[in-house]
Amino acid sequence: MKEIIDFLIETNKLKEIARRGLVVWRVKNPITIAEHTFRFLFSSWLFSIEKKFSIKKVIKMALFHDLCEVYAGDLTPLFYYKRKSKRMMRWFRLSQKEREKRAKEKYELERESLLKLIKNLKPSLKNEILCYWTNFTKLLSKEAKFLKQVDRIETLLESLEYIGTDEEITGKGWWEGTEEIVEDPLLLEFLKVLQKKFYRTAPQYKKNKKLENLLDFLLEIGKLRRMPRLYWLANGIKKPETVAEHIFSVTLTTWILGREKKNLNMEKMLKMALCHELSAVYTGDTIPYIRKLPKDKRKRKEILKKWPRLPEKEKKKRFQKEYQEEKKALLKLTKKLDPFLRKEIVGLWEDYRKVKSPEALFLIQINTLAVLLQALLYQQKYKGYVADPLWEWAFEKCTDPIALNFLEALKERFY
Amino acid sequence: MEEIFYLTKEGLERLKKEYQELKRIKKEKLKGEFPKILHSEDLNPEYIAFKEDFGFLESRINELEHVLNNYKLITPPPKGKRDRVQIGATVTLEEEDGSINEFTIVGTLEANPAEGKISYLSPVGKALLGKKLGEKVVITSPIKVVYKVKKIKYKLA
Repeated sequence: MKEIIDFLIETNKLKEIARRGLVVWRVKNPITIAEHTFRFLFSSWLFSIEKKFSIKKVIKMALFHDLCEVYAGDLTPLFYYKRKSKRMMRWFRLSQKEREKRAKEKYELERESLLKLIKNLKPSLKNEILCYWTNFTKLLSKEAKFLKQVDRIETLLESLEYIGTDEEITGKGWWEGTEEIVEDPLLLEFLKVLQKKFYRTAPQYKKNKKLENLLDFLLEIGKLRRMPRLYWLANGIKKPETVAEHIFSVTLTTWILGREKKNLNMEKMLKMALCHELSAVYTGDTIPYIRKLPKDKRKRKEILKKWPRLPEKEKKKRFQKEYQEEKKALLKLTKKLDPFLRKEIVGLWEDYRKVKSPEALFLIQINTLAVLLQALLYQQKYKGYVADPLWEWAFEKCTDPIALNFLEALKERFY
Repeated sequence: MEEIFYLTKEGLERLKKEYQELKRIKKEKLKGEFPKILHSEDLNPEYIAFKEDFGFLESRINELEHVLNNYKLITPPPKGKRDRVQIGATVTLEEEDGSINEFTIVGTLEANPAEGKISYLSPVGKALLGKKLGEKVVITSPIKVVYKVKKIKYKLA
C-alpha cells in the first residue's frame, strides 16, 4: 500500500502543472494537467459510445495518457513554436526528418518520466499503466488513434474557451494542429459544430443537434475546472484543488484500489467516479451537511474544527435537501443529452449518493480516502491546517479491508 | 462498402510482423506461459503494451486480420504523374514568408502527425491530395493557411 500512496502523492503534482499552451499565452489562472485529463476522460467516454469501443479501456487510456507529465512536464508541440511577432505564434513548420527526430525525443523523455513514476508499483499495476500509455502514445490500436484525435480536439476547445477565436492573437496553431490529425468522420463533424459555436459560421454545416448538445455538455462540465473545493477554501487553503482535480484523483484511486475488488464492476466504478460530483456545475461545490458557513472567521473555524455532529434525524433531513438540490442540478445538466446517456449518468450519480450498489459502497470510501490524502498533503504544506476532522469522517465511512489498509498506511506515511 | 486500408510497403511488413508476434504471444498466454518478448523492450514497446491486457491483444489481432485482408499497397504513380500529390507522397510546402513545411500522406493506419505522417482523410491531407507541383494550397477552416507545393517526392521501390 505504501507504493500506491507514494504513486498517488506523485500524481497529485498534476494538479499543479499548468497546461503549457495556456501559460505561453499568459492565460490567467490556466487549467492544470489533472483538469485537462478530467474533461478528456468525459469526451473520450462520450465520443466512444458511437464507436462501440470498450468504455473501460477508453477511460483507462485517457486516465493514464498524461501521467508521464508528472516529471517530464507538459511537453506539448508548443515546445516547437516560434514566436513570429509579439502577438502571433504559429504551429511548427518542420521537415519530415526533424519531426521524426523531435517526436522520438519527446517519447523518450515521457517514457523515462513514466517509468520513474511507476517503478515501485507491483508488476501488474506497472504493466497495466505502461500497456495503456504505450498504446495511446504509439497509436497502437483503433481506440488509441481515436483518442489521440479527441485529445487534440480537447486542446483546441481549451484554447477557444480560454484564449478565444481571434486569429491574429491565437487560434491558428490549434486549428492547424487539429486539422493534421483529425480524420474520424464523427470528430470531423464535431469540428464543424465547434466552429459554428465559436465562430457562428461554418461552411457546409448541417445542423447536428446531438453533437451540439454534446458540446454544450462538455462546456458546462468544464466549469468544474478552476472551481476550488469549498472545504479547503473554508479552511484557509490558498489555491486549493478544484472539483475537476478532485474527480481526477478519485478516478485514479478508484482504478488502483478497485483492481483488487474482482467482484465489482470496474467500468461502472470508473464512470461513477467521473459523475459523482457533476451536480456542482450548478450547485457549486458543497460541504456535506453544511450549506452555509458563517462569515465570522472564528465561528467558521469552530464549526470546521470537528466533523459535523448531528442527530440522525437532522442528518437525514439535511441529506435529503442536498440530494434534491443536486439531483435538480444534474437533471438540468444532462437535459439535452441522449436519453440513454442521461439515464446512465443520473443513475450512476443516484446510485452513489444513495449507496445502492456494492460499487457505490466502495466508491464512497475511495472518495473519503482521496479527500483525506489531499488533506494530509495540505497539513504538511500549510501550517495551521489540521486534517483531524477528516480522519473522523474516514473512520465513519471506511469498512472495506482495502480502505482500512489504506488508512493504516496513511497513518504510517504522515505521522 | 468494404473499407480499404492504404499501406506503405514498410507499413505492411511491420503489421505482418506484429500479427505474427501477437499470435505467438496469444498462444503462449493460452498455454498459461508468461509470453517472452523476442526483442529488446526499448525497441518494441508495442509488444509490452499487449503483454498485460488480453482484451487488447485479442482485439488487435482481429483488427490486424481485418487489415491484412483488406489492404491496398501504396505504390508510386507512373512517371508522368509524379508531379501530383497522391497517397504516399512526401510534400514540401512553402509559405509566403519562405518557411518550409513537410508532410507525408499516408493511410489511416500509418498516420502519426507528430512524425509528420498525416492521413489522407484529415483536412490537411484532403487539401493536399491531387495538388500539382507549384500549385497553391489553401487550408481553410476558421483559419486560413496558404502554401505553395514546392516539392513532391515518392519513395520508389
